[in-house]
Amino acid sequence: MAPVEDQPEDVLDSSLVDLNTFNQILEMDEPDDHEFSTSIVFGFFDQAEETFAAMDTALAEKNLEELSSLGHFLKGSSATIGLTKVRDGCEHIQRYGKLENIDGSSEPDEDLCLERLTKAIQTVKEDYKEVETVLRKYYEQFDS
Amino acid sequence: MSNPEMATATGGGNNASDMLEDPSHQDVARWGKDGDTFVVVEGEKFTRSILPKHFKHSNMSSFIRQLNKYDFHKVKPSSDSENSSPLGNVLEFKHPYFKIDSKDDLDNIRRKAPAPRKQQVNEDFTTNHHISVMSEQLAATQQQVQQLQELFTEVSQTNKILVNEVLTLTKIINAQKAAQHEMLNYLTPYNNDNQRTPIISQTINSNGRASDADDASVPELRRARELLSSVSTDSVTDRELERLQQHVYGSPTDSSAMITPTSLPLMNDPMHDITRYPVYPVGQTVGIDPFHSDHIHKIPYAMPSDVNASVLGDQPQAPTMAPAPTQTEKPDAMWGPRKPSVFLVEDDPICAKIGIKFLKSMGCEVEHASNGADAYTRINSLSRQFDMIFMDIIMPRLDGVSATMYIRQSHPAIPIIAMTSNIRPEEVNGYFEHGMNGVLAKPFTKEGMWKSVRTHLSHLMKNPPQESEIGSGAGYFMGSGPYLNTSTSIKFESPTPPSGTAGSNWSPGQIQQPSMGSGLEQNFGLLNGSGQYAMATGHRPQGFSANLHSADSSSGRLSDVESPPEKRQRLNPQSTYSC
Repeated sequence: MAPVEDQPEDVLDSSLVDLNTFNQILEMDEPDDHEFSTSIVFGFFDQAEETFAAMDTALAEKNLEELSSLGHFLKGSSATIGLTKVRDGCEHIQRYGKLENIDGSSEPDEDLCLERLTKAIQTVKEDYKEVETVLRKYYEQFDS
Repeated sequence: MSNPEMATATGGGNNASDMLEDPSHQDVARWGKDGDTFVVVEGEKFTRSILPKHFKHSNMSSFIRQLNKYDFHKVKPSSDSENSSPLGNVLEFKHPYFKIDSKDDLDNIRRKAPAPRKQQVNEDFTTNHHISVMSEQLAATQQQVQQLQELFTEVSQTNKILVNEVLTLTKIINAQKAAQHEMLNYLTPYNNDNQRTPIISQTINSNGRASDADDASVPELRRARELLSSVSTDSVTDRELERLQQHVYGSPTDSSAMITPTSLPLMNDPMHDITRYPVYPVGQTVGIDPFHSDHIHKIPYAMPSDVNASVLGDQPQAPTMAPAPTQTEKPDAMWGPRKPSVFLVEDDPICAKIGIKFLKSMGCEVEHASNGADAYTRINSLSRQFDMIFMDIIMPRLDGVSATMYIRQSHPAIPIIAMTSNIRPEEVNGYFEHGMNGVLAKPFTKEGMWKSVRTHLSHLMKNPPQESEIGSGAGYFMGSGPYLNTSTSIKFESPTPPSGTAGSNWSPGQIQQPSMGSGLEQNFGLLNGSGQYAMATGHRPQGFSANLHSADSSSGRLSDVESPPEKRQRLNPQSTYSC
C-alpha cells in the first residue's frame, strides 16, 4: 500500500460528498485494492452520463414524467454513494417533473416547471462534473 | 290626493293666514273671535272667490282635507255662537299654532306625518325580511339535513366496513389461536432438540427466571398456552357484531371466506423454512409464522409486561456494538448451520451492487433481481425459499408494492423489507398495508441493513442477540406512541445523508401504529408480521418521539434542509430500529 495514500477526507470536499456514506463503500474494499469502490464509483459515472443524455432527450420532448423518473433514478444512486449535491439536484428534477415545487406543493404551470427543469439539469450536470473530477483524482492515486 | 294639492300643501298654514289677513274677505272668511280659529263664513263664496287665489283649485272639500292634513281640526259650532250665520254654513277650524297674534308659530303648522302609512310599510318590510330570513334558514336547514344524511350514509358504510373487518379480524385471531395451539402441541415432543431452545431459554433467563435450559421449553410452551387461553374475546360483543353484520348491514363479507383455519401441513423438519411458512395463511391473508419465538409473544393481546421485556430482548439494538466490523471479521461465524439467503430486488445497479456487497459481507447468500416481475418469477420458480427480501419500491415493469402483493399470495411469511427513499408516513403505511414487514430508508447504510437482517433472521443466527447485550428494550417502538400517525407532518421524503453509525431502518411496529389507528381494514399490516409486533411495550425511549418532533419542528421537512449527520443521528438515536 502506498504510504502516501490520501484519505478520502483529504481529497473530497464534504459539501460534495457525504463522507460517512462514501466511506462505508470504501470499507467494502479489500485491504489491498479498491476494486469494489472503483467499480461502484465508475459505474455511477457511466450511469450518470447515460441519465443526463436521457434527460436532455426528455427535456427536448418536454416529457416531464420521464424527467421525474430519471431524476428519481439518479437520486437513488447518487444518494447511495453520498453525492449530496447531485442527489439534491436530482430530487429537484424529480419534483419539477412531477409538476411540483421544491417543497412538494403542486405547481400547475408546466412552462415554469420546464424552465426550472432546464436550469436544474444544468446545475446537476455542473455539480456532477465537479464531483466527478474530484473522485477521478482520488482514484488516480491508486493507479500508479 | 291630487298633485295640485300636493303642490300647495306646504305652507298651507301661511296660505290660510294670508287669506284671513285680507279684510275684504271678512264676511267670507275670518279669524274666530278668540283669534285662534279659522272661520269660513260663506263656504260657497270662499270656494269660488278666495280659494283660487291661494290654491290651484276651488274645491272646498279638498281645502278641508288639506286643513285636516295640516292638523287643523274642525270646531263644532256652539249653538249659541255669535258666529253662527244665517246661511248655516259656517265652518270653523282650529290648530294649536294657528293664532292671530303669533305668526311665528305658523311655521309649526306642518303637514301631519303619515305615521300610520309609514308604519304599514315598516311592517311589510319587517315581514318580508322575516320571511326571507326564514326561507334562508329553511334552505340552510335543508342543506344541513342533506349533509347529515350524506354523512350518515358515509358513516354507515364506514361502520359496516369496520364491523366486517372486526369480524374478519376476530376470525383471523381465532384461527391463529387455533393454529398456535396446534403448533404448541406439535412442538412439545420436539422441545429437546428444537433449535429454538437457546432462544427460549435466553428469553426466560433474561426475564429473570432461572431455569434449566434443558426443560426450558416446557414452561415456555405451557406459558404460551396459558397466554393463548387467557385471552378470550367477548362472545356477547361478537354475537352483537355478527348480528349487526347480518341484519343491519346485510351481506356477509367476502373476507370472511378467506379465513379458513387450516390444519397443519406435514412438517418433516420443523426448522426448515419451506415447511415452516405455509402454515395456514389462505388467500390474501398473510400468516404469522407460529414457530417464530417472537410471534408467540407478540400476538397483539395485552400481555404481562415482563413478557414484553423478554420478547424485546431478542431484538437487535446495539448502535454501539458496531456490527459491521464484527461481521467483516467473521461473517460466517454469525450464522447457524446454514447461511441466510437474501433476495435483493433493486433496479438501480449502483444500489444493487452496494446492497449485495453489504449483504455478502454479513455472510448472507444474495440473489438479485432488477424489477418486481423478475423477482416474482424467480421466487416462484426456485425450489428453495429466500429467508428475506429487500424490495425497492419504484422499479420498472413491476413496482415493489405490487410485487410484494403477488409474492404474498404464495409466500405469506417471508420478511419483505421496503427499500426506498419514499418514506413519508402515508407511504410507509401503504407498504405495511400491502404486506411488507419493514422499511429500510434509502440511501441505506450497512448498519441499517444489518439491523434489518439481524432482526428478521435472528432465528438463523448462532447466537441471536439477546437482551443483555442489547440493552433493555431500548429503541423499540412497537406502536406505543402516536408519533408517526398521519397527523404528524414528519416527512422523510428524501433522507438526509446517513451518518455512518445511524441506521435508517424503521420498525414495522413503529410504522404500523398509524394504520392500526386509522382503520381496521388494514388487516394486512396486522397480520403480515407487523401487526404481531405492534403492541404496546412501554419500552420505547421517551426521548424518541420528542426527538422526532423537535427535529420536525426545527427543520420542517428534513428534505428541505441539508441535515448534518448529527441531526440524522439524533433522529435515529439507537432507536432507529426494532423488529
